[in-house]
Amino acid sequence: MGRSIKKGVYVAEKLLKRVLEAKSAQKREVIKTWSRRSTVLPEMVGLTLAIHNGKKFIPVFISENMVGCKLGEFALTRNYKGHTSKGSK
Amino acid sequence: MARIAGVEVPSNKRVEVGLTYIYGIGRPKSRSILEKVKVDLNKKVKDLSPDEVTRIRKHIEADEVVEGDLKKQINQDIKRLMDINCFRGRRHKMGLPVRGQRTKTNARTRKGPRGSMIKKKK
Repeated sequence: MGRSIKKGVYVAEKLLKRVLEAKSAQKREVIKTWSRRSTVLPEMVGLTLAIHNGKKFIPVFISENMVGCKLGEFALTRNYKGHTSKGSK
Repeated sequence: MARIAGVEVPSNKRVEVGLTYIYGIGRPKSRSILEKVKVDLNKKVKDLSPDEVTRIRKHIEADEVVEGDLKKQINQDIKRLMDINCFRGRRHKMGLPVRGQRTKTNARTRKGPRGSMIKKKK
């Protein structure tokens, strides 16, 4: 179930501040963030955010299609390369 | 026999049920459509007057997304998820459950028959 509309979407305040700053200043620097639970806002489009995956920051360029998703969806926390196949031994 | 929304040919069932033969229309939507165009939902499809059929058809064409259009829309939504490379999109690409179900066991609907997993890399 989604979040109530009354509350609006969740974005970490720190992140929001930095995003708005970066937008108004036309800065192109990468913003590091740990806030995987924040929603992608239209304001973030065009920025590159470095999203923490628990170990390192994954740079993600935010495009228009991504609005509405959570940041964490773009930085996977698990790294599964598959089992070793019998042939490659 | 009445043709509504392209190919659909509901039989001699009640209209409420007959309309559900159209992809994208279930019982609730069927009821709301019939209420809006003021057709008795207990009437059989074969007993509908041509006027009633036209009213239903017009309403569906104007206000509902059904059949090919709906399928197209769904595919586009999935494609969007896959293009932005988010978690849900990746699950779609890998053919695994998208909504957090367990995959240690079960998940056969998405994975297909046992042992037939062809290595699909993203």
